[in-house]
Amino acid sequence: MKKRFLSIALCAAVLISGCFTGCGNQGSSSNQGQTAGQVQNQGNTENNSKYAEFITVDVFDSLANYQGIQSGWFGKIVKEKFNMELNIIAPNVAGGGDTLFQTRSAAGNLGDLIIVGTENGRMANMVTAGLLMDMSSLLSEKDVLKNYKIAIDKANQLAGKEGIYGIPSEISVRSPQEPAGGLEPMVSPYVRWDAYKLAGYPQMNTLEDFLTVMKTMQENTPASDSEKQTYAISLFKDWDGNMMVGAKNIASLYGYNELGFVLIKADGSDIQDITSSDGQYVRALRFLFEANQAGLVDPESTTQNYDILSNKYRDGQVLTSLWSFQGPSVYNTAEHKAEGKGYMSVFIEDSAPYCDGCYSEGKAQTIIAIGSKAKDPQRLADFIDWLYSPEGMEISGQANGAGGPEGLTWEMSEGRAVLTDFGKQALPNNDVTVPEEWGGGSWKDGVSALNLKTLCLGDFDPNNNEPYLETMWASVLEENNTEFDLDWQNYFGGARSTVEMLTKKNALSVAAGTSYTQPEETSDITTLRNQCKVVIVDDSWRMVFAADQTEFDSILLHMQETVKGLGYEEVLAVDMQNARDMTASQVQAVQDYNNR
Amino acid sequence: MKEKSVKFKEVKNASESRRLFYCIVPFIVLCFMFSYFPLHGWIYSFYDYKPPLRLSQCEFVGGKWFKTLFSNKTQVAQMIQVMKNTFAMSLLGIATSFLPVLFAVFLNEVKCKWFKNLVQTLTTLPNFISWVLVYSVAFSLFSNSGMVNTFLQNIGLIQEPVKFLDSDSHTYLWMTLWGQWKGLGWGAIMYLAAIAGIDAELYEAARVDGANRFQMMKGITIPALMPTYFVLLMMSVSNFLNNGMDQYFVFQNSFNKEHIQVLDLYVYNIGMTGGSLSLATALSMLKSLVSVGLLVVVNMISKKTRGESII
Repeated sequence: MKKRFLSIALCAAVLISGCFTGCGNQGSSSNQGQTAGQVQNQGNTENNSKYAEFITVDVFDSLANYQGIQSGWFGKIVKEKFNMELNIIAPNVAGGGDTLFQTRSAAGNLGDLIIVGTENGRMANMVTAGLLMDMSSLLSEKDVLKNYKIAIDKANQLAGKEGIYGIPSEISVRSPQEPAGGLEPMVSPYVRWDAYKLAGYPQMNTLEDFLTVMKTMQENTPASDSEKQTYAISLFKDWDGNMMVGAKNIASLYGYNELGFVLIKADGSDIQDITSSDGQYVRALRFLFEANQAGLVDPESTTQNYDILSNKYRDGQVLTSLWSFQGPSVYNTAEHKAEGKGYMSVFIEDSAPYCDGCYSEGKAQTIIAIGSKAKDPQRLADFIDWLYSPEGMEISGQANGAGGPEGLTWEMSEGRAVLTDFGKQALPNNDVTVPEEWGGGSWKDGVSALNLKTLCLGDFDPNNNEPYLETMWASVLEENNTEFDLDWQNYFGGARSTVEMLTKKNALSVAAGTSYTQPEETSDITTLRNQCKVVIVDDSWRMVFAADQTEFDSILLHMQETVKGLGYEEVLAVDMQNARDMTASQVQAVQDYNNR
Repeated sequence: MKEKSVKFKEVKNASESRRLFYCIVPFIVLCFMFSYFPLHGWIYSFYDYKPPLRLSQCEFVGGKWFKTLFSNKTQVAQMIQVMKNTFAMSLLGIATSFLPVLFAVFLNEVKCKWFKNLVQTLTTLPNFISWVLVYSVAFSLFSNSGMVNTFLQNIGLIQEPVKFLDSDSHTYLWMTLWGQWKGLGWGAIMYLAAIAGIDAELYEAARVDGANRFQMMKGITIPALMPTYFVLLMMSVSNFLNNGMDQYFVFQNSFNKEHIQVLDLYVYNIGMTGGSLSLATALSMLKSLVSVGLLVVVNMISKKTRGESII
C-alpha cells in the first residue's frame, strides 16, 4: 500500500514538474514574441525612413564586459539613428577564454558585427574561413575610409587578401611618439596620498625605497574606511597571461612592456627574457616576495578576483595601485577628496613609467569588422562610419572617458566645452538617473557596452576643439582645485596630471605606437607557449609567497629548468624575433608619420 | 499439419523478436548518438586544428601530437606526475569505497526511524550540490579571511591565517575528504536497498541461535552486500582514469596544481585553457585506450577469482 502511494506520488511529481517546465517555456517564448512585437511596433512608429526594418545586431565583442542587449541612453541613440539594437556577445563575460570564439567560428558565424583581436595570424585565418565580409564597396563613400585610409590599408595587409575586412582601433592623427593615454600612463606608483603625506613625503630613489615607504604608510594608516586592515599591495590573478600581471606592472614602471615571454624597453634598446635571473621580471618578483616577507601583501591576493579587489580599492583598503583605473578612478570621489583622501602618483627617481604612444597607423591588434552572414551590411557599415565620426566618438567613446552626448552631459559655453550639472554628476560612470527624453534608466547601465576605442582619446575633437577625453578639457582641469589636488600639484611643481608630471621630469617612456601585430606562429610553438606560461605564472605566484629566500631561489630554479625542459628556447627565439620586428616597425611608424 | 505449426511458430517468433527489437531501437540510437557518434571527433588529433579555420582547411599531421606527448623529458615528467595524481586519487577513492557499505550497515541498525531518515537525507543532499557551490562553501569557510580563519584568529589560537586552500599540503587527503563528504550518503543508497532485500528469516534464525547485532552484521548483512560491492568496485576500476574534473577544476590554483592536476583536468587545461585542441584530443584518446585495457584486465581477474564477469 505504502509503495503504491509512493509510486503515485512520484508519478504526480514528475507530471507536475513536466507541466511546469512546459508552461515555463511556453510562457517565456510567448513573452519573447510579445516584446519582439512591441519593439517592432515601436520601430515602425518612430520609423527612420532610411532603415525601415527594425533589426537586432549580434555583436561578437572581445572587449565587452557586458553581455546582452545594449540598454539605456546609448541603446536609444543607436535605435533612433539606425533603427536597430545591439545584442552584445562577450567572451569576457561568458568565460572560458577562447572557447566562445572557437565554437562560434566553428559554426561559421561569429556575429553581425565583430570586434576581435588579430594577433597570431587570426585575421588571415578569419578571412580564409570566410567569417568576415569585404567592406570595400560598403565603405567607398564613407568618411571613415577617406579620413583614415592609411590606417585601414595598413591593418588590412594582415588579411592576406585584397579588400577591407576590418578597421583598426584607436586611430590617431598625432605623432606616434606622443603619449596616447591622455592624463595617466599605463602604470605609475599611485599611493594613498594622505598616508604618503603623513609619512612626510619621503623621497624614493629606487624601487627598493618604495618598500620602506609602503611599510611606513601601512603603519600610519592601519585601517580602511570600513575599519578593515589595510595592506600596501594586493594582487589578483584573473588577467595573468604569459606572466604574472602584478609583477609585469612593476617592470613597466621601468619602461618595459611584454611581448610573449620577453620584456621590451619602450625605446627598443633592451629586450629581456623574463626568466633570466637578473632581468626586470625576476627583480619584480623579488620585490613582491620581499614585500610579502615584510607583511605588506594582502594574504587574500592568491584567491581574490578583480571585482573583490576593486571593492577593496573603493574602501581604500589597499594603499598602492599601479593602474590609474584601479585605485584613483574608483576612490578619488569628491567626498574623499574633500576629506583629504585619495590616490595620487608618487615618483621613484630611477623609474620611467611605460606609456603607449599614439597609433598614427591605427591599432591593428584590435579591429571592428562585419560578419560574412550579417543581415543588413550597409546599415552596419553606416554604423561603423558613425562610430569613427567625432559625434560617435563622443558618445560611444564615453565608455572610455569621452564627453558623452552633447546637450546631456556637456555643452558649449563661451566657446569652451563645459560639463553640465548632469554631466558632473554622471561622469565618469555613476549611477545617476538619465532624463526620460534621453532614454531614462541609470547612466552607468546605459554606457556603450562595445568598449571599443575607435579613435585616440587624446586626439582633438573638431566639434569643441578639446581632446575627446573629458578629463583633459581645460574647464575640467580647472575644477581640480581642492586642497587635496593643490597639495599634490604644489609638490610636483604645478603639474596637473601624472603624464605632465612625468614629462616634466623627463621620465616618461613612450613606446611609439605601431600597427605591428604578432604574426602567426606554428601550433608547436603555441602548444609549447601554453605549457610554459602555466609553469611561469604558477611558479611566479609561489615565488612571491615563498616562505624564505631559499624557497624563492629553488622555485626560481624549478621554473627556469621546467620551461627549458619543455622547449622554452624555441618559443623565446620566436618572441625575440617578434620583439626586434616590432621595434623596427616602431622606427618605421615614426619615420612614416614625419614624412606625411 | 505439424510442419505448418512449426512454420507458424517461426513466423510468430520472428514477429515477436522484431517487436522486441523495435522496443530497444530508441536505446540503441541514443547509445550510438551519445557514445559512438562523438568518437568521430578523434579525427581532430590527426590535424593541426586552428579554430577559425574549418578542419578541411587545416593541415593533416598524422601522429605528430602523439609524439609531442612524449617529446622530451620534462613533458614525460609532467605526464608521470599527472598519472600519479590520477592513480592516487582513484586509489584513495577505491580504498574508501568500503565506507558507504559500513555507513549503510550501521545506519540500518538505527532503530529510531525519524533520526535514520534525517541522517539519510542530510548525507544524500550534498550529492546534489554542484562542485562549484561546494567550492564556494569551502571558500567562505577556509579562505584566508573565511570563517574558520577569522574564528581561530579571534580566539587567539593563530596570528597569521592558515592557508587551507592555497597550499600544497595534503592535497590528496583534502580532495578525498571533500569527495567523501559529497558522495558518502549517495553511495550508501544502493547498499541500503540491497539490505532491504535480504531475507528477514536469516536474521530471525540468527537471533534464535543467539547471535548479537555485530555477529549478524558480520555473518549476514556484509556477506549479502558483497556481490553489489564487487560490481561497483569493478565499475570504479574501469573508471580508474575517469575521476572527473569538476572537483579538481574548482579547487585548483597555482599552489596546489602540481598535486591536484588529474588526467581529465590536464586534458581540459591543455585543450580549453591552453587552446591546443588537437593535442588534448590525442591525450584523451590515449586515455580511452588505457581505460578499455584496464576494464578488460579487471574483468579477466574477476572471472578467474569470482567466476563473475561484467562484459
